[in-house]
Amino acid sequence: MTAVLMQRSIELPLEVRRLLWTAAIVVSASLPHWSTLTPWMPVLLLTAVTYRLTIALRRWPLPPRILRIAAALAAFVAVLFEYRTLNGASAGSALLVVMVALKFVESRSQRDELVLVMLCYFLIFASALTERGPLWAAYVVMLIWLTTVALLNIGRRGELLPHRTAALTSGRLLLHALPLAIALFVLFPRLPGPLWAIPGSTSSGATGLSETMSPGDITNLGLSDEIAFRVEFDGLPPRADALYWRGPSLTTFNGRTWSMLQGTRRGERVADSTEYRGDPTTYRVMLDPNGQNWAFALDMAARWSGNNNLRMGSDYQLGTFFGAPRSRRIEYTVTSYVDYRAREPLTSNEIEMFRRLPDDTNPRARALAQSWIVDDPSGATIIARAMDYLRSQPFFYTLTPPALGAQPVDEFLFETREGFCEHYASAMTALLRAAGLPARVVMGYQGGELNAFGGYYIVRQSDAHAWTEVWLEDEGWVRVDAVAAVAPERVALGSTRYGSDRGFIASAVLGNTWLRQAMLAWDTMNTRWRTWVLGYGPEVQRALLDRLGFGGLRRAQRSAVLFGLAIVATVLFLAGLSGYLAWRKRHRSDVDPAAACFARFTRRLARLRVRPPAAGEGPRVYAEHAATALPHVAIEVRTIVELYLRARYEPDTDGLSLAELEKQVAAFRPAQA
Amino acid sequence: MQLGAARVFERWAAGWARRRQGADTHAVELRRRRIYVLPTRFGVVFAAMVFAMLLGSLNYGASLGFTLTFLLASLGFVAMHHCHNNLLGAEIKFLGAAPVFAGERAEFKIAVGNGSATPRLEIELNRGDHTAGPTDVGPGATETLRLGMPTERRGSAVLERFRVETRYPARVFRAWTWVHMDARCLVYPRPAAPGRPLPLSAADGAAGVSRTGDDDFAGLRSASPGDPPQRIAWKAYARNDVLLLKEFSGGTQEPCMLDWDMLPDLDTEERLSQLTRWCLDADAAGRSLGLVLPGNAIPLGAGPKHLAACLEALALFRLPQ
Repeated sequence: MTAVLMQRSIELPLEVRRLLWTAAIVVSASLPHWSTLTPWMPVLLLTAVTYRLTIALRRWPLPPRILRIAAALAAFVAVLFEYRTLNGASAGSALLVVMVALKFVESRSQRDELVLVMLCYFLIFASALTERGPLWAAYVVMLIWLTTVALLNIGRRGELLPHRTAALTSGRLLLHALPLAIALFVLFPRLPGPLWAIPGSTSSGATGLSETMSPGDITNLGLSDEIAFRVEFDGLPPRADALYWRGPSLTTFNGRTWSMLQGTRRGERVADSTEYRGDPTTYRVMLDPNGQNWAFALDMAARWSGNNNLRMGSDYQLGTFFGAPRSRRIEYTVTSYVDYRAREPLTSNEIEMFRRLPDDTNPRARALAQSWIVDDPSGATIIARAMDYLRSQPFFYTLTPPALGAQPVDEFLFETREGFCEHYASAMTALLRAAGLPARVVMGYQGGELNAFGGYYIVRQSDAHAWTEVWLEDEGWVRVDAVAAVAPERVALGSTRYGSDRGFIASAVLGNTWLRQAMLAWDTMNTRWRTWVLGYGPEVQRALLDRLGFGGLRRAQRSAVLFGLAIVATVLFLAGLSGYLAWRKRHRSDVDPAAACFARFTRRLARLRVRPPAAGEGPRVYAEHAATALPHVAIEVRTIVELYLRARYEPDTDGLSLAELEKQVAAFRPAQA
Repeated sequence: MQLGAARVFERWAAGWARRRQGADTHAVELRRRRIYVLPTRFGVVFAAMVFAMLLGSLNYGASLGFTLTFLLASLGFVAMHHCHNNLLGAEIKFLGAAPVFAGERAEFKIAVGNGSATPRLEIELNRGDHTAGPTDVGPGATETLRLGMPTERRGSAVLERFRVETRYPARVFRAWTWVHMDARCLVYPRPAAPGRPLPLSAADGAAGVSRTGDDDFAGLRSASPGDPPQRIAWKAYARNDVLLLKEFSGGTQEPCMLDWDMLPDLDTEERLSQLTRWCLDADAAGRSLGLVLPGNAIPLGAGPKHLAACLEALALFRLPQ
């Protein structure tokens, strides 16, 4: 409807055309929010816009004031009822949309329209509070441009600007604003934390790994292609089968479900008793918010930096444990040694805890393990026997295993023998515990895909993995991956290139086609965007200052230096802009407006195959020539030429001749003779 | 109350600017040092909005939010410079003001010239509460605005100062300059109410203000303020939008010599008003007219120029120059 009206806008009264511009921005600025709003809100907005435009076109009176106040109150209460709060980004945006709808209905002056422009800017801003990709950013900037076009028109008194002028001016203003915007983006000091508590995390819901594991319950593991994190290695990455990205450990087992330890064991690792061997591997991890406070690193992380809140838990897991779940992406650098001895001294209590199995469950598995002890109780032998057992029996790796009953480990080991990593890790850990070895399940990711465009690895949710860690008295914690016994390719190749039964994963389907290449290139761009735009924060600013020679400052000092630099940049930029604009204005108009108008006229004639005026040919001679060529418009041609001569060569203080000339030339649209 | 304070402040600031930049000639080019810029009320709200955005971005640590905040902030700064630049180098020229009768509105014709290759949009002129424009001045073009001023008394209406200002683009800033030109508009005395007939010469007892039917239509001339409405060619006005006056010839017209001493019963201003009325009536009747004032005499004559000279003499009678 708006589009139809816009085409007819020439004939519409000024007041309606102003309203149309307002309607255009009101609808487009709320557009980014539609997907997160309750459906009645966009409906309310569109109804309000249609209603107000109808009022304007039909010249109906505005609804009475008491009705408008009642509507505003009702909408306010409805939003409150819907969100239970007015605090936070989503409820705030909803309220804003509803306010805009109601304000639009009662808008009748320039002041109202300007208020709406302001609200539109704010709506667009609110849609940029969540982390989005470069396309979204381009979309939002386009909305800002459109709103500015509307502001240029609405801010005028009198006739609106021609569409082209308004569009170009808005673009020029934004283009001129861009350098300073970038400088301020880089230099304005950022804060490490929020100013006030953010209600309702913006990325709600945990994704990826969960806190518990019950393999028997899952009969179809739908792994998503979603990216968990990206890793950029400094130098050569380690072998593919050493890419174990460690996540949380599950210690408590009730016979069916593994879960994390609560309480004291979740403390921070203080004494580092790990012995590192071989070459270190250094890499940078770019981790998206996952609704948890976990971070991931290659086994075994020795040093890390880049995020002050990053700690290692007592179970060797990295994470930002002493804060709320993250809603922001983080980046950190880790140095790991894939060859290590995690010689953690365990107390007898701890040993007991890691060996605990519920007495009344999974009797057959326990009997099997007990039989191994009788032969040889040494840890290494028992691990070998367990791996042998999985290898020699007909076990299958599948993502669609049958459901398991009350004794899931027994049923898996002796009956179904089909499962994915969780089944194997669960069974292996249970077997080792039954054999008297302290053991636990470790969850994380294994492998990763190299993005050749960006030179970094992508680890997806489909790379999620679970394995067993067993504690041997003289070696410490040792990783035992039961899947390596059953499906060694899964470990060696990673999930992307592994396998038939994973066909539903998009990455596997696409294979190595151009589409996949394009997707990788796109991901590279996204990753750079995440690093340089979304991930730009206090840490990057600190590194920037270090490079500029301001190293070793305290936080307040850093902020002060950045603030000073931002002010200097602003002043320099504004001085430059002022000079540039003045220089442009000094560029005199050497084209007489009448001559420019006449040139337009001759060009239009040239399109009708009338030759342009020859050099030295007077306008009147040319007029006769044109009149002969196009006899049906001879009068118009002669009139325009006479007007041109008068506008150009006679004193014309009022510009009346010029105005008339411009009017006539604009109206001169002759058909082909 | 607050508005009054603002007005006092403006008067003070304008006086300061006047002392700083001196008086202007009838044509001035606006230079950098005399153009002032301040945010409008909308601009202040805009700034508050950007500040709220900054707080929101800081709180959410949202990089895209920062991007938009800084984009809009620098948009504001850029708009300030565009606003300032919109006036910079504009040529302001006083083109004169047609004389009016006291009580009418004087209109000062002021041209805004743009010699640059880029347009100047939304330029307006301001004198207190009176505004002319806004108008858009294209590249190389000149636009004429008429700045109105009510008149009370005869003499010269002086446009002490006016503002040239613009809120382009985006209305967030207002750039303005005060111009102090010696711009004057001649104000004729207010014509007295018709009633007293023209003083009669002895020979022509019957000739009055009203026309008789036996006069011949002689042609049209452009109308000027004070012409009797019944002689305006309204049909021609409807066609062309130009006020024309029908002129008649025929009849024997006696010259009409108006004398200050003919009106002993009136005070000075009332006399001037009455003489003005008579001048107009005589001219309308197509009679030649002359004027005798103490210390000033205008011989008999006819035509618009002559009428203007008589009216000017009445306007400036006994006024200090």
